[in-house]
This record gives sequence, C-alpha cells and structure tokens, in this order.
Amino acid sequence: MNVINAIKYYVTKMTEESGPGMKVLLMDKQTTSIISLVFSQSEILMKEVYLFDRIDAAVRNEGLKHLKCIVFVRPTEENIRLLSDELRYPKYGVYYIYFSNIIPKTDIKLLAENDEQEVVREVHEFYADYLAINSHLFSFGISTCSKGLNWEKPYFERTVQGIIAVLLSLKKCPLIRFQNNSDMCKHLAEKIRYVLNQESNSFKFRQESQPILLILDRRDDPVTPLLNQWTYQAMVHELLTINNNRVDLSNVKGITKELKEVVLSAQHDEFYANNLYLNFGEIGQVIKSLMDEFQKKAKKHQKVESIADMKAFVETYPLFKKMSGTVAKHVTVVGELSTLVANYNLLEVSELEQELSCQSEHSTQLQKIKKLINDSRVRDIDATRLVMLYALHYAKQTSNDIAGLYSMLKKRNVPEKYTKLVYSILDYSGVSTKQINLFDREAVAKITKKLFKGLNGVDNIYTQHTPLLTEIIEDLIKGKLNSQSFPYLGNTVITRKPQDIIVFMIGGTTYEESLAIYNLNKQNPGTKIILGGTTVHNFDSFCEEIEATVVGTIARYKPRSVRDRSDFDHN
Amino acid sequence: MAHVEVMEGFICPICMTDFKTPTLLTKHFEEFHKDDPEILKSLKDLFGKAKKKILKQDGMLDYPNEISSNNQKTKQEIDWGPQEIGEMRSHTKYFKDIRNTRLERYSMETNKLIIRLDKLLNNLPNDLVERKAHERAIVPWVDDKDVRLCPTCAKSFNLTRRKHHCRLCGVMMCHDCSMFLSLVEARKMTSPASVQDDLALSPITESTRFTDRLVQAGIGLSKLARSPSSSSLNSVLLLISDSSNNEQHFRVCQYCKNLLDARERLKARHFEKPVVYQFYDKMHTQIQEANHFIEIYYKMWNSLNEGESTYNLRDAQMVRGKIAKIGDNIDIISKRIATLVNIDDDSAVSLKQEYRLNQMVRTTAMIYLKNELLRTPPVPTTEEYEAIKKERQERIKARIAYERQLEEEQMEKQKESQREYQKVYDHSPKSPTSTSNQVVLDQSQGWGTSGRPGGNIMISSTSMDPFIEQMSNLRFYIKQAREECKFDEVAALEKNLKELQSAYFAMKQSDNS
Repeated sequence: MNVINAIKYYVTKMTEESGPGMKVLLMDKQTTSIISLVFSQSEILMKEVYLFDRIDAAVRNEGLKHLKCIVFVRPTEENIRLLSDELRYPKYGVYYIYFSNIIPKTDIKLLAENDEQEVVREVHEFYADYLAINSHLFSFGISTCSKGLNWEKPYFERTVQGIIAVLLSLKKCPLIRFQNNSDMCKHLAEKIRYVLNQESNSFKFRQESQPILLILDRRDDPVTPLLNQWTYQAMVHELLTINNNRVDLSNVKGITKELKEVVLSAQHDEFYANNLYLNFGEIGQVIKSLMDEFQKKAKKHQKVESIADMKAFVETYPLFKKMSGTVAKHVTVVGELSTLVANYNLLEVSELEQELSCQSEHSTQLQKIKKLINDSRVRDIDATRLVMLYALHYAKQTSNDIAGLYSMLKKRNVPEKYTKLVYSILDYSGVSTKQINLFDREAVAKITKKLFKGLNGVDNIYTQHTPLLTEIIEDLIKGKLNSQSFPYLGNTVITRKPQDIIVFMIGGTTYEESLAIYNLNKQNPGTKIILGGTTVHNFDSFCEEIEATVVGTIARYKPRSVRDRSDFDHN
Repeated sequence: MAHVEVMEGFICPICMTDFKTPTLLTKHFEEFHKDDPEILKSLKDLFGKAKKKILKQDGMLDYPNEISSNNQKTKQEIDWGPQEIGEMRSHTKYFKDIRNTRLERYSMETNKLIIRLDKLLNNLPNDLVERKAHERAIVPWVDDKDVRLCPTCAKSFNLTRRKHHCRLCGVMMCHDCSMFLSLVEARKMTSPASVQDDLALSPITESTRFTDRLVQAGIGLSKLARSPSSSSLNSVLLLISDSSNNEQHFRVCQYCKNLLDARERLKARHFEKPVVYQFYDKMHTQIQEANHFIEIYYKMWNSLNEGESTYNLRDAQMVRGKIAKIGDNIDIISKRIATLVNIDDDSAVSLKQEYRLNQMVRTTAMIYLKNELLRTPPVPTTEEYEAIKKERQERIKARIAYERQLEEEQMEKQKESQREYQKVYDHSPKSPTSTSNQVVLDQSQGWGTSGRPGGNIMISSTSMDPFIEQMSNLRFYIKQAREECKFDEVAALEKNLKELQSAYFAMKQSDNS
C-alpha cells in the first residue's frame, strides 16, 4: 500500500526492460512531475538514463540515433498525436513505450500504423499516474476541480483515471463508499465502479480482505484548510508552499544562489524524513542539535594536523559535504518560518483560529478577532481566515456580526479577492443545508478531550483541532461508520472491519489530514490507510478552489453591508 | 553438508562418544586425553569456528547488540513491509501485429519499386526519346485522357501546368508536385550499402563476386528480390561519367519517393554506430566488474572486522587495490567520453545534445565512483585486526562461560536421555580417517584444476601418504583459487585443510597408541 514504492517499482521496471545501454526518457508535463517526485536525478542517472526530453517541447532536438528511448506519457489525445509524429520521424534508435493509464485499442492501432520504421520494441500500460507525496499520500495536482458546485469535466476524467491507477498499482479492487450528501462524490463513485466493471479482467487480484475506497468531499470540512499549521511539512506548505517537493525561497532576503529553490523529499533527505511530522518547537530543538553536531564535526575537520586527520577528513568528506548541505537547507527553511511567525504574529492568530474551530465563546472570540484585525502585524489573509472561521462557526447564530467584521476588513483595505471569501465560504460549505453542525459536534468531543489533555499536561493550544477526517476514519476502522451518511455503492454491506482503506478527498486534502492518517496508521498496526486528494491545499490554493467552486452559483449569502456607507466609498 | 552420512554432534575423536555440548567435550578431553595437547588445541580451534557459526545464527540474543540498535534510527515513514509491483498490461503483441500487417504491404510495394528502378537503370538510353520509350516499356503510364486534375494538388492541367508521369508507378501529376530521384541515389538504392566504395577501386566488377556480396549484405538484399546485373551497373557508370546528359534524375511521385526514403533511413540506421558507443560499453563492463569486486570486498571486510579468520588481510588489501584500479579505468574512460564532442555557441542542436549526453555520462561515472568506490572502508591494519580478533575471543569466551552455566543447569534433566544417545552411538563405530576423507572429497566438489598443467604433478607423487597428498593438493587449490580471486573458495578450502590436519594428527595419535 506504499504509493511511493508502487511508482518506484514501475519506473525501475521501465529502465530495466530496455536492457543496458544509454537511455533517454521522453515524458510529458505530468509524468515528469510523477517521476521527479520519487526519484532524484542521480538515482535516475544510475539507471543509465542520461537525457530527459519533453514530448511536448516546442522545439524538439534532432535526436541521437544510438539512444534507447523510454517513452512514459499519459494516454491523452495530444500525446498520442505527438507520439505518432515522433514515430514517423524517429529521433532515437528504439522506443519502449509506457502509458500511465488505460489506453484505447484504437490509439495503439494509430501508433502502430505510424511506426513504419519499426522502432518500437514494447508497448505497455504502467499505472504510475499520480503524484506520490508520502508513502500514504497521493494527489493529482488539480488545483481547482469543480465549477458551480459540480465537476469540471476534464478534471473529473483525470480524477477517475488517477484513482483507477492507484488501485491498479496497488493491486486493489475495492468496495466503494461515498459521502451521501455530495453529488460529486456519488458521481465519482459510480464512474469508478463502471470502470471497475468494464476492466474487470485487470482487477482480478488475490485479496485477503476487501479494501474500502471511501470518497469524501472537501466541502464537508472547510475548516481544516483554513488553519495555520505547526508541523514541519504542513507549516512549510502553508507559509512557503511545497510544489512537487520543491520550495521556492527566492523571496527570502540574502539567500544564496543554491538555496533559492530547495528540495524537501523524505526519500532523499534523511533529516526531513525523520522530522516532517514534528511540530515547530521540536524542529527547533532538532535543528539546534543538528547544528551542534555539524559544528563539532566542522571544527574537528578544521584542525587537520596529522596525516591521520587528513585521511579521516577525506574519507568522511562526501558525508560531510552532504551533511553541510542538509544543515544549510533546513536552517534556512526553519529560520524563514520563524521570521514569518514572528513578523505576522502567527502565534496569536493561530491560537484564536484553534479556539474558533473548537470552542464556542461568541463574544470573547468576536472581541479577539476585532483586536487582531486592527493589529498591523497580522497579514490580510490571516485576518480574512479568522473572519471566515467566524462566519462558518456562527452563520446560523442570528446574533452574529459577520457584516461588522466584513466591513472591518474593508476598512483595513483587504483586497476584494479575500473579502468576498467571507461569504463565498458559506456558499461553498452550504452551512445552512447541513443537518449536523460541524462545530457543535467537535465541541463536544473537544471538551472531553481537553479535560483529558489538561490532566496529562500535554495540551498544545496550537494543535487542538483535529480534522473531521480522523473521526470518520476512526469510525470506519471500528466498522461503525454510519451507512446512511456514507453508503456502500450497490447492495453490498460489509460489517467486518476493513484492513485496507483508500480515502479520497474531492476538492483537495491537506497536510494536517495527511498527518492524521499517518497517526491512525501508527495507532492501528493491522490497518493500512492511504489518503489522496485532487490536490494538497494550503490556505491560498484553497481560496482559489472556493472561488472556482462557487462561480456561477446563486449566492445565498451576500454582503449585507451594501447598506454600509463605507462600502459604497470603496466601490 | 557433507557431515550427514557421518556421525554428527560433539564427538570425541578418540573414544567416539557423543557429548552434547562443546564444553562437555572439552572437559572430557581435559580429563581423559590430557596427554595429547596438540589435539586438544586443534579441537578447541574447531569448536571456536563452529561456535562462530552458532553465535551468528543465534543472532547473539544473550548479548546486548549495540551495533544493530544504533542503526535503528527512527524513520518516520510508515513501513508496510514488502510490496509487489503493480498491475501491468502489455500491448506489444497487438501493436506488432498491426504494424506487421501494415509493413508487409509497404515492403511489398517498396520491393516492387526497387525492382522497377533496377530495370529502369538497366541499359538506360541517353537519348531523351529513347529513354522515354524505355521507361514506358518498363512502367506503363496512366492514360493522359483519364486525368483532368493533378491528384496531389487538385489543380487542372493546362499549357503552363503540364502533365508529368511518375517513372516508378506511372501516375500523373503536375511539375510542382513532382519529386526527383537522382540517378546516383537510384543506383545506391539498388545496390547494397558497401558496393559504392568497392566500385571506386574496381569500376568493372565481376558479376559473380557482386552477387556474392549481395548475399552477404543482408539488409540490402532482404527487400531486393533480384540482383542487378553487371550490365546495369555499367550503364549507370556510363551515365555518371557522361556529364553532358541533361536528365540525371527520375521524375517520381511523392508516394514513391516517401517509400524509398523510408527504406534508406532504415538502412542508414543499421550502419550507424558512433564512437561513444564503444567507450560506453567498455565503461559499463568495468563498472560491472567493479561491482563484482566490491561485493567480494564487503564480504571480506565484514568478516575481518568481526575478527574471523576466514579471509586474510593481504587478500582483502589486494581486492581493494584492484577496485581502485578499476575505478581509475572508469575515471579515464568517462573523461574520454566527456571530451569526445566539443561545442561552442554556434554548434548544431544535435551536437549540443550529444555533448550534454556525454557530460551526463561523465557525471554519472563520477557519482558512481564517489558513492561506491571511494566509500569502501579501508582494510584494518594488522594491529587493529589483532585487536579485533582478541576482542572477539573475549566475547566467545564469555559466551562459552555463559553456555557452560546453562548446560550445568540443564545437565540434570538431560542426563537420562544423554545416556541413551550414548548407547546408540557406541554401537556405530567409525574410524576418524574415513570421516575426514569423506569430508574433503565432498567439499572440494565443484573445484577442479582449471586446465592448468600443475594439477597433474600432484597426482604423480602417489608414493606419499594419502593424507599428506590430500593436504598438499588442497594447498595447491588454495593458491589457485587465490589467483583467481575466488575468496569464498579459499576460505572453504582452508577450512578443509585444517580439518584434514586435525584428522591427520588424530590418526597419528591412534597409530602410536
């Protein structure tokens, strides 16, 4: 059930099947990301792949006839066309073609007809068609999957293909459960079952137990992506944005050239692998000890007096160099994070976010929000997210002051693209249509938990919130998940506790949820759970998702502040 | 193991009694066979070895193993154990089926064109009118009246847009849509790839030799059903030399031209093999060799650092030297590859790509050297090795002491059963000589003299005691194995030799008594 391994095995198989010799890898945009996420360049080089080429490159090179070309592309119409051209005028010696998903026979026929020079040796489907971020986390890199509260067609197709690829690469033929109150979930679930039936020959696996594919909708829990995060991976993504394991640091003052873009990959960076789920305080500690160790070593290396010293230095040099790279990278990243935390008063913001998400104390919370909106250190987006959380929490309460907060944001000159989110999120989540109140339910659970935590003295006010997902999966593991809210597709109902669970979140998942799934895996050794999403969100990307989703729908919530004079002034 | 048919257990070689544990056996020896310190010593050595194995198998559960606990770093990623590769589906067969049926049709058409081309070239007249007649005789032309528009560009023919015919298939087209195949090219197409150079040397070729060569040049012939005769070549040569000829090419249609071009490209592909290939192959074999030696070396290094005496220090040193030498070779070859192509800003794109490729190969070689070769740990020095050995002996001693304690506790319980065992074994006496002989013969299986005359010398000295002979044989094998770097076998053989020696001592002793 390890998605990283699944991709790795496929790629390794590709490079081995073509035998020894110099190779070039021909990819499209998406497959490039898929491979670069799990393999570092040096690893690929060791597999005799020396050149990388894009099939959709505007200007294609002349090519080298003595190279073996491994083609790894998605089976899209455009790729088939490009590949047909490539085969008609081959730039390389022989071709080994791998499609990342199920390809229609007609396309194979088209390619075969274009291979007049008999350069193709193999044609296969290898289902490495998703971004494997952690061993239990995958994504399809679709930043906004819906429009007007429904699927956008191309992204729907991509999602179906992606999930099918996950299932095939892990050799799982699941029972499907979905969130009943979401049309998107139902639509996706039915389509996947359709494909499973159609391709039933491929899905004949020996399975010890029937895996569960659970399809959820982000709209059911819009709170989680709004919160600031404090574990390393999630925090980096929230504040600096991780894109295909890469973090852009070019905005950091006085950054050296080689640190402008750093790669954070648990596969190749041991420090990162060991610490990605630690919280910010712990990371600080670890970084300090890493620095100490490094300094100790660096010092030891400085006094190279005897021949023995020199020898020792040379022998440990590669290690030393590697370590110095790691140290510099993580010190920079953590340093940048702590600067941002201090500059933007994130601690206070985050504390209030957590309170808003877990407790109901309307008047005090309102006061605190007002105070922070007036705090010049607080960023516009942080002020906005507080108001958004408030709106979500108290929308049903008649005495709420959403309009007041909205006009405060306006006064603060928060850009329109953020202020309108206050109402968009209400439309997005459909608070009024929901039977159960997200916050009420959590509040009850939280009070008991808090009491418990308080007794143990391990309470961390910045990590009070647990995502709704945790609750759902806990129920699912126990076999207690409500079959009304999360029905099985078809008539099958299994009461046995599931062993393999694949959760998919339409509308994007978050690193907080990834951590929750990670913890659930650790707590339940007999159960394997992996999590996927159309993308992995941080606040910024989630805002875009909200905007795209509510586009074209009739807004139930509108700024009532039209009557507000100041608002007229702004417009 | 070869011991199966022999007695198994801790057996005293003198009185053939089975003692359940090494400690007991040593004790027994100390009590009853004090007079043979030699045997006692060799026995103890043997036990030492056996113990090593036992200790390894047990995983040293009784001792806190610091090394393994140090290695267990807290990796945060979840480990779900082994996983098999995901589902795969192959379309290769379907693809090839479709391609083949299609290509068969193409190759048939191409063949037809080549044959026609050959006929056209054969006795091609110089005179334009005669030539036209010749061409029409071989390929019938489409009737002028049947075609109103050019089939390619769909424009009507008139005075300025004249009608032309493809000389290969006879189809009609306008001038703009015509392609031209020069006679030189045409001649090249109808003759195998290598012919051209030879012709320069001997313009008049004998037809017999020519057809021979055609048979050899597989590709040229595979699609050429009929070999060109010498006369056709002569006519071509005549044409080429006669530069006054006004039409040095055939007019052909796009379709025919494409077919012929595709065939030419295919032919070119088979003969193209750049220099970098050879270098790369060489480098690749070197890397494989290096991997082989590194594997051996690590095995030796681990064993040495455990304080075992399976391998010896000098051998390890030698392997390390060898690895370093191969590393040098890889370095040199990859440097050579990196400098094969030089570029500047104006270089062609393909050249730049080639340059990039070569640089990447070099980079990879560097990474390989850095990661694999330079990281091989050094062989311990003699002093270090001694220290390791001593430490190990201490460990073993501690273990023995511990075991003895355990045994004494269990002794009472086991006594009964032990006696029964003893009885059984007492009834099956076997001479120690046969035992060790058997061992040697069995274990040396699969190791022969690899065609060296030296092997026979040993056999000739039959007058020697079979034991001594066997031992000297073994020594020879060891030497040979060492030369061929088969260090596992050296270890196995050396073990045999030692066993043989101890058995020999035992025999001597029993002879004397």
